[in-house]
Amino acid sequence: MITVRTQFLSHFKEIAGTGEAAFELDNGQVSELAEQICDRFGPRMRAVLIDPKTNELNARGTMFVDRKGRRISMSGTLDDGEEITFMMGTAGG
Amino acid sequence: MESRLLRVDLTSGELKSELIPHSIFERWIGGSGINNWIMWEHFLTHDINCDPRGPDNIFVFGVGPLAGTGAGSGIKGRITFKSPCYNMFGDSAGGGKFPYMARFAGYEYIAITGKAPKPVYLLICNGEVALMDAAHLWGKDTAETHAALQAELGDYPSKTHTLSISQAGENQVGIAGVVSDALRIHARGGGGAVLGSKNLKAIAVQGNGSLPVARPEDMLAWSEDFRKKIDGNEAVYGFKRRGTLGAVEMYQHIGSHFWRNNQGNMFRGDEIRSDNWVKKYHKYSEVCSADCYIACDAKYQIDGTESEAAKKYIGETFRRPEYLTTGSAAGALDVRDWSEVAHWGKLTNDYAIDNQDLSCSISFLMELKQRDLISDRDVAELFGHEQNLRWGNMEDIEACVESMVFQKNLFGQLFRDGPYYGALRYSEMKGKNFMKYAMYGKGGASFTEEVRPYPTWMNNMAVASRGADHLKGIGLIEKFQREDLSKVYFDGRTEAADLTIPELKGACTALAENQVALLNSYGVCLFHWMLDPADYTPQDYYGQAYAAVTGIERTPEELMRDGERICNLEKAFNSRIGMRREHDTVCERWMWEPNPEGTYSNAVAADMFETVLDEYYEWRGWEKESGLQTRSKLEELGLDDVADVLAQDGALADG
Repeated sequence: MITVRTQFLSHFKEIAGTGEAAFELDNGQVSELAEQICDRFGPRMRAVLIDPKTNELNARGTMFVDRKGRRISMSGTLDDGEEITFMMGTAGG
Repeated sequence: MESRLLRVDLTSGELKSELIPHSIFERWIGGSGINNWIMWEHFLTHDINCDPRGPDNIFVFGVGPLAGTGAGSGIKGRITFKSPCYNMFGDSAGGGKFPYMARFAGYEYIAITGKAPKPVYLLICNGEVALMDAAHLWGKDTAETHAALQAELGDYPSKTHTLSISQAGENQVGIAGVVSDALRIHARGGGGAVLGSKNLKAIAVQGNGSLPVARPEDMLAWSEDFRKKIDGNEAVYGFKRRGTLGAVEMYQHIGSHFWRNNQGNMFRGDEIRSDNWVKKYHKYSEVCSADCYIACDAKYQIDGTESEAAKKYIGETFRRPEYLTTGSAAGALDVRDWSEVAHWGKLTNDYAIDNQDLSCSISFLMELKQRDLISDRDVAELFGHEQNLRWGNMEDIEACVESMVFQKNLFGQLFRDGPYYGALRYSEMKGKNFMKYAMYGKGGASFTEEVRPYPTWMNNMAVASRGADHLKGIGLIEKFQREDLSKVYFDGRTEAADLTIPELKGACTALAENQVALLNSYGVCLFHWMLDPADYTPQDYYGQAYAAVTGIERTPEELMRDGERICNLEKAFNSRIGMRREHDTVCERWMWEPNPEGTYSNAVAADMFETVLDEYYEWRGWEKESGLQTRSKLEELGLDDVADVLAQDGALADG
């Protein structure tokens, strides 16, 4: 069992109703984290977090990174104490 | 597909209507592609080394074939000219209603040359055109000019839509832009100074004409599919609500802002780096044109309760600032109050001035002052009176803006072409070298985001045809680490999505430049593609809409080649005026100083710069040593005629 902290920014914060949350994972997989997040925060979170066509994390207009700033993918594994940030992926203007 | 081109010779007053034939679209797609070709042809009979503020320069407005058709993909008009601030190829996009209303009024393209003997504006109404006296508009900002023209011309046969310059353009400030309907600035490159030099204050259009669509049923089907795709993307709702301000928290998290002249890369102050903008100021969302399924634009109104600073702006209402407006104020200048950031956006829009180059000119001086490299007396010398230059102080910042717009003093005059030329002139004047504090890329153009950790973005800053810029070849694969896209475009390879290595970063610039050239030629907004670059591919998905509207069938491969052709013409323009590899570079701070903070700290451009640039030339098929194009590449693109011109000018790699 490991603990992973999550940060939700802007749109994700609005959907989650909180800027931070912690999750306990049995096997440390990103897919497990994603499922727990969707279960806790509901269908709007699922809609923005998971691409239904591929079952991968939704890359469209989003950016999900670990503490080193690396984008995470559904098949990845996480270390105990890792922190994942969920953000809108925007640039320009 | 045919379009109408209005040629305006301001010297003689001649107004001439021409038809742009189908064959031109076959070669140049539309929009920016056709603008570029009109300018290229112009400079075959006029001196390309002319003074950009002189009558030999040309100003082209154009809008692509998808604009206003109901495609739902947003609309961008484009202005193209020789840049007066960077003295090279110049172009700039702007949204809003003006671009498609120009089509409804009868013209997709307007080419303006010469110089009017006195201030005029151009009126286009359902195909009828006239040059009108603009003496009563001279001296007005863009909001005042727009309001005056709307009152003067009324609402028949349609509301009046305008493209106008401010006092900055009248005074030929090199970094002056052109504003559409008083709301949306074509900021980059100094188009406002070109119009000011020609004594053309504005273009006003009215019309209720129609647009040609080759296969309306296919167009409607495409549009409906596009709408469903957008509605099915939950992330779009986040973008609708925040627009590009969604980048504030993301950039704060990873360290991608441009703080105090890029001495740092995170905003300071709890308020400005938070998402409070949405809670406190956002009043309502709106579409910038009538033809966009996203509607990322919004209005704010300040009631004075938001903060202490907000009391200065009670009642002010305007567009929500875009990210780079925020990046220039909260970043470059360290303004920490949202109402002041919003006011900066309105101020620079009303005065039609590029807030990237302006903020970096001011932040350059503020850093010199911070480091005691200049004294109070030196500052007084620049402004003609005692003047504070305090980070984040709006009073000081507004004094700099007024100095620039009205060319009141030495500061305005030295920095009228942005931070690079300003720093160069000031260093020369003082007999000291201040260049290490000037923030710029190619051509001297500036950009208020941290780019050091991103090799593709850094390369964009060095090679963009209109000077340092992110939108000419925006590096989505790299910044958003999209391995899936890297695999699609680079034969299963993933390196393009890895920030830490140089491989495929130059290739990414070339790829994105070609794709952006296509979107700019269609006349659509880039944001839809940026939200979903895997599905809304310019060469495939948008290509279907282009075919439905124009009847021009193209394979994705052919369209990518079309985009590449457009990029090569822009490159050829710059080669003709003498730009070579040594001009594809960035400022000292980006090149040599490690970025000091954030997730990707300690990156410097120099680590990968030359490797990435070499790869970019390789993917472009250009000569690495000189950076020049080769005849074989140009002939492959069907640009034999362009190769001949370059050969004549000694600007072709292989003779």
